[in-house]
Amino acid sequence: MKRFSIVSAVVAAGAMVLSIMPAQAADPGVTATEIKLGVSTPLTGSAGLAYGKVPGAMKAYFDYINANGGVYGRKIKLVVRDDKYLPTLAATQTTNLILKDNVFALVGALGTATHSKAYTAASLAAKNVPDLFVNTGFSGFGNIAKYPTTFTVLPSYAMEAKIMSKFIKEKFAGQAVALVAQDDEFGVDGVNGFKAGGLTIASTTLYPTSSITDARAKALLTGLSAIPGKPVVVLFGTTDVTALIFKAAESLDLVSKFTWIAGSVGGDANTLLALGVKSTTIDGAIAASFFPDAKDTSDEYVSQFMKINEKYNKGISFDNIVLQGMNSAMLTVQALRAAGKNLTRTGLINAVQNKGAKFASAGRVPLNYSATSHVGYNGYWFGQLNAKGELKPYGGTLSIFTTDSAAGAVEASTFTRPAMPKNGIPTNS
Amino acid sequence: MHNFSATKKRLLLFILFGWLLLLVGDRVGELRQYQGSFVAMYTLAIASIILLTGYSGQLSLGHSALMAVGAYAGALSTNNAHLHPVIALIIATFVAGLFGLILGFGVARLSGPYLAGTTLALAVSLPSLANQFPILGGEQGVAFDVGAPPARFGEDFSQYKWFFWISSLAALIMIWLIANLLSSKYGRSFRAMRDNQVAAQLTGINTGRLKVTAFTISAGMAGLAGGLLVMLISGVSPSAFPLSLSFSLLTGAVVTGVYSLKGVMLGGLVLVAIPEIADSVVNRIGGSEGFTATLPGFLVSALLIAAVLFAPNGPGQLLKKKH
Repeated sequence: MKRFSIVSAVVAAGAMVLSIMPAQAADPGVTATEIKLGVSTPLTGSAGLAYGKVPGAMKAYFDYINANGGVYGRKIKLVVRDDKYLPTLAATQTTNLILKDNVFALVGALGTATHSKAYTAASLAAKNVPDLFVNTGFSGFGNIAKYPTTFTVLPSYAMEAKIMSKFIKEKFAGQAVALVAQDDEFGVDGVNGFKAGGLTIASTTLYPTSSITDARAKALLTGLSAIPGKPVVVLFGTTDVTALIFKAAESLDLVSKFTWIAGSVGGDANTLLALGVKSTTIDGAIAASFFPDAKDTSDEYVSQFMKINEKYNKGISFDNIVLQGMNSAMLTVQALRAAGKNLTRTGLINAVQNKGAKFASAGRVPLNYSATSHVGYNGYWFGQLNAKGELKPYGGTLSIFTTDSAAGAVEASTFTRPAMPKNGIPTNS
Repeated sequence: MHNFSATKKRLLLFILFGWLLLLVGDRVGELRQYQGSFVAMYTLAIASIILLTGYSGQLSLGHSALMAVGAYAGALSTNNAHLHPVIALIIATFVAGLFGLILGFGVARLSGPYLAGTTLALAVSLPSLANQFPILGGEQGVAFDVGAPPARFGEDFSQYKWFFWISSLAALIMIWLIANLLSSKYGRSFRAMRDNQVAAQLTGINTGRLKVTAFTISAGMAGLAGGLLVMLISGVSPSAFPLSLSFSLLTGAVVTGVYSLKGVMLGGLVLVAIPEIADSVVNRIGGSEGFTATLPGFLVSALLIAAVLFAPNGPGQLLKKKH
């Protein structure tokens, strides 16, 4: 055993040695005392501002686990590299993680256009590198033939639109629906999802993200206000544009004219309020989510993660992004435990495939991992925001819907998530 | 006779250098092979700027856009038309060259800040224009899969060595062609036009046509570099060609010495080495991720200022002075 670990240390020390070693040799990044994981993600630039907290939150949770004995005695080290949300940097940084830092696995990569290129450029499939809990709603990563080692964590945009269609048809029958979506994969995935969901839409507006202005938002809302009754306006875009439209509605005094539904990407109350939307405007707006509300301290996951955040992620405010990072880190720890003491890359991939659906997680919707599905969450619930920005279940009871990214039906789910492990420390095997 | 032997000597030099690269490529690990491929790609892109700016006197701030044109042409050739990657790279060169020709006619009348402004506008607008055409794949882009190395090279022949071979060979052939061109009458005409346009016209040089020629060749080289870049990152998308890429290349050209093609590899080496140096500095002294993220930019800027202050014509000039 000892000799084995010495061999693996030598392997980790040099990429050159690695290239001539037979594939059966121990995988890099694992020693008797350490597991080295890596992430390439935006830390700077505009995407860095929005999502830069993810790696810090993951690190904080790993530090907490390390302080409590690590995973079978091994401490987790997370190597973080900044890709600024640029494909070239994502490709080179991910390659650096594999060839230079010799990480055992990747965890929590973020971004569709960036990570899809990094995956091929860093030869993750050929090197059998587990690519865990990727933060993107792009359904293409679910293609196991193309991305055999990738496991995504977020539900897809297409799922969201399909589920939203069912929700609107059930709760707002008789009201006309207007869809306002951004004109890229994200919005187009959504439009297709609404089509698949069979929702009749009275008016669809696709806007290029670069050209939406206050004046255009006002013109759009003035046009929509001509629709008789109280139309449902679905905002399927990023938070900044959602905020722009809300503010336009405020100045036109049209807030109460519509029933507002924001997608999970644009419905983050914290950001909307920070961008200057009045609390009275978001009060009553409906938003889709698959997580608990990060402000809900009565939620056992949220309260435990908040405690960890306070101690190991000092000075960083707790929000949905931190929740997401910590949740992915907790899933990672469970995956590493499930892979057993003799940690191998193949063992880790099999562990997520075979046991991942049962992992404890903050998500209010099921995880869908199996040998034939590498997509994590597969559902949504709908909530209503109050003036404090808290998202409460719509109609008072939590109703969860699940579906897939293709033509599968949307179904009501009775899913109850596993309890938070004691003190937030997984003990699974 | 003298010219012939100089051309022969140059060919021999390039073959020797290629052979050296082959030996080096065999003896380094996958990471260095991958970095070497980037050096070759950047070297080619910087050479295209030196040709345009240093030799023909036109300043372009939009070379990332020309690279993007080549990159999309190459990616569509492999991904949609299923052509061989080598043919795709040749197509990338010619399509970008054609684009440069059309653009060249438009900008031939411009010079100085007007030309810089026009090319800058191109760099800002062209990549996002790509979002408007569904065939170009939107934000997600188009894949450029060069495929596994040929089986006859053996099992040990890695993907990264394959990248290194293709990039190095492409850069060597292209730069050899350009070096020959610059030592021909075209090179002399370019320099005459750069130094004094009116005097060049008086000697019978058609400067308008010459400018368009330079723009076309430079665009073709940039297009090939763009094709290589997206081969190395396995696909093209608009965000792969940010404005900062144009500025990095310009920095590389200034550091190399914008008036000489000799030592152009230095610029490529610098662009690849800077993040490496930043990495090792941070590893040694410790520091936050924010520090690691900003250090490469700082080093590039510092190097640019140092180059302008101490060696505006490149380090080669500095050495010559000492002798």
